[in-house]
Amino acid sequence: MGKVQEVMQGDTASFLGFPRAHGRAGVRNGLLVLGINGLIAPAAHRIAAALPGSTCVATPYGRGQLGPDKAMHTAQLVGLGCHPNIGATLIVGVDRPSADGLGAAITARSGKPLAIITLDDVHEDALLLTERGIRLGGRLTRDLSEERRSMVPVSDLFIGIECGHSDATSGIISNPLVGAIADSLVDLGGTAVIGETLEWLGAEHVLAERAADAIVGAAVVAAVTRREQEVAALGVDLLYNNPGHENVRGGLSSIEEKSLGAIAKAGERPIRSVLDFAEPPSAPGLHVMDGPGFSPESLTGFAAAGAQIMLFTTGPGNSFCSRLAPTIKISGHPGTVRVLTEQIDFDASPLFRGEKAADAVAAELFDLMLAVASGTATWGEIFGEGDECFARFGGSF
Amino acid sequence: MAAIHAPKTGEAWDAMAIHPDDTVAVALRDLAGEAQVRIGGSIHKVLLREPIPLGHKLALRSHGIGEAVLKYGQSIGTATAAIPAGAHVHVHNMASRRARKMD
Repeated sequence: MGKVQEVMQGDTASFLGFPRAHGRAGVRNGLLVLGINGLIAPAAHRIAAALPGSTCVATPYGRGQLGPDKAMHTAQLVGLGCHPNIGATLIVGVDRPSADGLGAAITARSGKPLAIITLDDVHEDALLLTERGIRLGGRLTRDLSEERRSMVPVSDLFIGIECGHSDATSGIISNPLVGAIADSLVDLGGTAVIGETLEWLGAEHVLAERAADAIVGAAVVAAVTRREQEVAALGVDLLYNNPGHENVRGGLSSIEEKSLGAIAKAGERPIRSVLDFAEPPSAPGLHVMDGPGFSPESLTGFAAAGAQIMLFTTGPGNSFCSRLAPTIKISGHPGTVRVLTEQIDFDASPLFRGEKAADAVAAELFDLMLAVASGTATWGEIFGEGDECFARFGGSF
Repeated sequence: MAAIHAPKTGEAWDAMAIHPDDTVAVALRDLAGEAQVRIGGSIHKVLLREPIPLGHKLALRSHGIGEAVLKYGQSIGTATAAIPAGAHVHVHNMASRRARKMD
């Protein structure tokens, strides 16, 4: 048993959340206004603006998509519509059939209250759409206000682990720190995911060796190889691009070293599966998601898979947060935590300065994670830094 | 490893190894002369052959040519020159295996 588990004994290994009919509990309980088509995104934003406490996620896409790209776009919309931190969903769409189809998929998976308004219902009048949407959303919001938090075991937590704007401190301080949190959470029955496939390049053998079985191990290597070949086909040589000049100046000597620092945030537990982008894990434990390396898209993949909280490590700072999952910003760089006082949620610099032991700092971060799960606001929530960024896997036709 | 001293409780450190098997440690500040290196639960004094900039690596033991350099308990590449304990380890004396494999 590790230090964190010793600290988190008995009743403290829980948080105050919103239990759901299906799936994990919420750590927040707002209304989601889900704009499922770029045409009505402005109306979706107007509706959400009129309903304080609601959250708007509106895709800029939704027409002319085909094949795997369309399937992945739908998977993201359904996943975000089902997110545990959402108490009810208002779908704002263009045509009834597609909105009904999406609504049925969200209801089947989440069982949550849901309402739908489309341009079909209002003779293409976007202002009438807005008015009806506000009324529908208002009713859902009033029902949500009757729900209360209750004790939920920490095993119900699913965290997404992200790093962005890495520097010399990321791989040695904050990534191993969140890796320790992932280990502790997994040991307590919870779930964690890391993504950004190309950040495993040069360290994929380490992840593969940690796979729960040979099939998962082969899938890890195949995911990296596929993306490496796709990049190579575009004429880009990742191995000589990465680590970049700034990384080399900062002390990184090889792609192996850079990627080992990146995967340090995955801790040391066995990898249960390689998830497709936006795919919910089917079992507790540690998972990896085959997805893009751009932080906003990566976080949206985790959110669509149902992660309730994000742990986001950064060296010099990176303000982007998930809109649906409170995002705990962590930096081990002493200068960053001194300057970004309303952006970095957790100061890991005592580790960098050699002032505290890793176990003690990990226990503090685990405490903060449970506090955020129980309602403590992150800086990103307070200042509205959250957004979701839909990933595309092909062009529109 | 050069000049190991018995760990002292409460002693500060200015470089750290990440994994007990590591053959290099990372400087937490610009270092010269000697480094107090944290390895697991203990502090070790390492005499430096040259200054080590913040974020860069120092050798905890000597490496022969072709020998793996270990960080995170894993190979991050191989020595391309003899690297004595206390030396700066970087692109001038180690190289990626992964990159070579793809040549």
